[in-house]
Amino acid sequence: MKKSGRFIFQKYDTENLINRRAALVTIAKAGVFSVLVGRLAYLQIAENSNYKKLSDKNRITHRFLEPERGIIFDLQGRPMAINKQKYEIIIIKEETRDVEKSLVNLKSILPHANIDIEKILKEVNSRKNFIPVGIIDDLTWEDFSKINVNIHKLEGIYPQIGFKRYYTQGESHSHLIGYVSQISKNEEESNPLSKLSTAKVGKIGVEKAKDAILRGKLGNKNIEVNASGREIREIDRVNSVQGNYIQLTIDSELQKFCYERLKGLSGSVSVINVKNGEFYALASSPSYDPNIFSKSISNETWENLLSDKYKPLINKSISNQYPPGSTIKPFVALAALESGVSHKETFFCDGKHLIEDTSLESGYKTFHCWKKEGHGNVDMTKAIKVSCDVYFYQIARRIGINKIAEVCKRYGLGEKVFKSLYEEKSGVVPNKQWKLENLGSRWMVGETLSAGIGQGYFLTTAAQLSLALAQLINNGMRLSPKLIYDIETSNVYNERIIADPKYLKIIKNALDEATNAPGGTSYRSRIIGKYKMAGKTGTSQVRAISIKEREEGLIKNKDLPWEKRDHGLFIGYGPTTDPKYAVSVIVEHGGSGSGSAAPIASDIFKYLFEKKLNLKRNEIFNV
Amino acid sequence: MFNQNNFYSSAFAKLQSINYPLLGLIITLFFVGLAALYSISNGDFNSWPLKHSQRFILGLIIFFLVIFFDLRLIFGYAYVIFFLSIISLVIIPFFGIESNGATRWINIAGISLQPSEFVKYTLILALAKYFHSISNDSGFIKTLIIPLIITVVPVFLVITQPDLGTALIILLGGISLFWISGLNYKYFIVGVFSILCSLPLLWQYLKDYQKDRVLTFFNPERDPLGNGYHIMQSKIALGSGGIFGKGYMEGTQSHLNFLPEMQTDFIFTMLGEEFGFIGTLLLLLIYAALIMISIRLALKSRSLFSKYLSLGVCNVFFIYVFVNIGMVTGLLPVVGVPLPFISYGGSSMLAVMFGFGLLMNCYINRNIIIEKTNY
Repeated sequence: MKKSGRFIFQKYDTENLINRRAALVTIAKAGVFSVLVGRLAYLQIAENSNYKKLSDKNRITHRFLEPERGIIFDLQGRPMAINKQKYEIIIIKEETRDVEKSLVNLKSILPHANIDIEKILKEVNSRKNFIPVGIIDDLTWEDFSKINVNIHKLEGIYPQIGFKRYYTQGESHSHLIGYVSQISKNEEESNPLSKLSTAKVGKIGVEKAKDAILRGKLGNKNIEVNASGREIREIDRVNSVQGNYIQLTIDSELQKFCYERLKGLSGSVSVINVKNGEFYALASSPSYDPNIFSKSISNETWENLLSDKYKPLINKSISNQYPPGSTIKPFVALAALESGVSHKETFFCDGKHLIEDTSLESGYKTFHCWKKEGHGNVDMTKAIKVSCDVYFYQIARRIGINKIAEVCKRYGLGEKVFKSLYEEKSGVVPNKQWKLENLGSRWMVGETLSAGIGQGYFLTTAAQLSLALAQLINNGMRLSPKLIYDIETSNVYNERIIADPKYLKIIKNALDEATNAPGGTSYRSRIIGKYKMAGKTGTSQVRAISIKEREEGLIKNKDLPWEKRDHGLFIGYGPTTDPKYAVSVIVEHGGSGSGSAAPIASDIFKYLFEKKLNLKRNEIFNV
Repeated sequence: MFNQNNFYSSAFAKLQSINYPLLGLIITLFFVGLAALYSISNGDFNSWPLKHSQRFILGLIIFFLVIFFDLRLIFGYAYVIFFLSIISLVIIPFFGIESNGATRWINIAGISLQPSEFVKYTLILALAKYFHSISNDSGFIKTLIIPLIITVVPVFLVITQPDLGTALIILLGGISLFWISGLNYKYFIVGVFSILCSLPLLWQYLKDYQKDRVLTFFNPERDPLGNGYHIMQSKIALGSGGIFGKGYMEGTQSHLNFLPEMQTDFIFTMLGEEFGFIGTLLLLLIYAALIMISIRLALKSRSLFSKYLSLGVCNVFFIYVFVNIGMVTGLLPVVGVPLPFISYGGSSMLAVMFGFGLLMNCYINRNIIIEKTNY
């Protein structure tokens, strides 16, 4: 063996050198193996419990289970709002590495689907990581199975079966029942279902008013999932609890009839049982299909609904306020009787009534009767029958606004009928104090005259008018208005008498004459037969008529643009012999009460007399 | 030098003189791999386990073929074999198959092969012959520069594929032979120092995904759902296995697909999850035993060529095991190195069997003396 003197090799013989170097390498290898063993011991023994937790967190996922919403039934037990199964897709941010990529993949699998990636991204990022966000709400079975096949490409995206609300009665009931839609940001706090982005909440109507009862309770389950989030097996589960059912006092057939009768018009109908205060119909027209809200509604459809001048989204029976016009006269008459005015006392009507007004050049202000030539001598019965304005100007002036307001309020005007419906308006029954508080000025005599014929500051709703009339013709029995049967509103009725039956008899008789005696304002709409209806028309102005216009001759309603025509109102009851129902009809800009509203009321009464004379609750078996 | 008659008549004698403990350990490792793949494929033998077995049988054929060749013939054709493997690397950009942004495979008669796996061993072969052939008093150029060039050429070709992990193994395997052959340790000190200094420069030549992997290695939480995902999930699987493991075919991380690449690079993790620390320790012991036997066999050879070749093969094998396990336990960056005999992968299996064939050939022919030739 040669020995090298050069610097490259160390001065050992080659054989020895290799052995030494190999030994060093072997020692190094042994060292490396020890490090590996040490590392494994650290991971698998020392850190075992930590990694065990992480492993469980990986594999076990918590999912909430959507409860089925309670069903809404009508008076007869017909389901009006039910749930249907639907196929939907959701995304969970926490369970995907790249939300956008998953969405793009989804789009390539369902090219025809309308997926707004930007909108969903925004939604996903605005919510907590673990909250599932809906992507497509209502999927066909074909698309649903396509997603299931391609699920491995769709990290964080899950197809699932959910519920959609379905309204069996369609647009005839939409205002009343309302609809459900996505839970909005400000509702999240108060709604436990907001943990589930696909859950819905009532937005309006009964759906909103009774949401807490209808919504049910979330269930949840722990499932084992694989890395792409696919459910492998269920570990445990707490089932969701379906929301409680609700039964309304509404008779869906009657409601439908009322709605159909209003078709083509803008207005509302309210039907109430005069004996127990149950509302059998609250229809509003025009309407919308509540089932469009089950799917995500397009902006265009929504904008169209909002901007429609006939306001299809508004429930006109409770949310639109109208001056009652002449329909207030029975209540003013009652106030007069209570103030000592005899119903036999006559006033002379020559078509107008003057009051002093120093602010005007002539020194007086003229109040006109609707009949230019006047009614001559009128007593109370005739005044109601022919709706003489001058008569009511005079008695209003005599008894004062505060007395009129007191009676109107006692009958439920100027106050919400249903405490639970959020969208209901209360109306206005003005008096001196009200004006001072709300307008900051003193009451004028002229305003009392206006109030005497239901004009001026007076505002009521159809529901209020029907309730007020019901209490007037049921011999003055106080009613608790009822729309929903539930625990809160019991079946106990307050039977307190709120007016002297002697006076009510006079007014009832006058209303009967107004419909069933020749010359009455609604005589043309009378029902000939065993059962009759009686009622009061009303025409409420929506514009001020100038002196000039009066001199030149009034413009006929049909020559005016729609928005400027008078509202037509009618309140009526029947059968006249033993009153069971009170009905109010309001036709927006319908011209006159006798021309537009009374015929509708007449048709509704005919329908009631023929088909619904004994409407009664068909109690749903309570679960 | 080569006697054909002798070749055939000595075949039986060769089979007899094989070191059976070593072969036994190799077969044991194969069965461990088979069991792991059977678990990963959820009890379906016909998918990965079947192919893995076929590859192992093919590997055994290569192993015995290599044994039956005369060692002097292998010595004589060492450069040619090395040159052919370099050619296969060179043609990859033109004929190769691209996958995941890297071109590493070529298709030979319907079989995809990864030439870089074989280059690990052909480089050792070439260097063994080279170091065997130079005289002890050779100058600086002969002892350092030329072998360095031989080493750097395949490393460079593999880096451009790009395949940093394999390139590093080739480099480390080559360098390990420099050490064995007795290069002055001062050069290693200078070398390590200069590599450390040139790291910032090298950094610029790394691909973005490689940079990401290195950065993620130093801080896995940097990107827990991206590059850190592999390391995190791998550590979770190992750690949750505990001492005794979750049980065969009961690993949740692996069976629910949280583990990436579990049939190839991360198969050790899957074994760790199902068999726990006991399992991983046993596996490491098998590898250690295999390496110890290899070193012992290597040192029995009389010729330098055989020693260099055997130790080189042993070193490459060790680096494989270390880099793979270091990677899945989070000690090293994720560079994509399979676990020999266990990971699912044809080229790696055939190449390792080729390597151990060379080692065994050296052992069988340990008494042959190979003369120095002109290189």
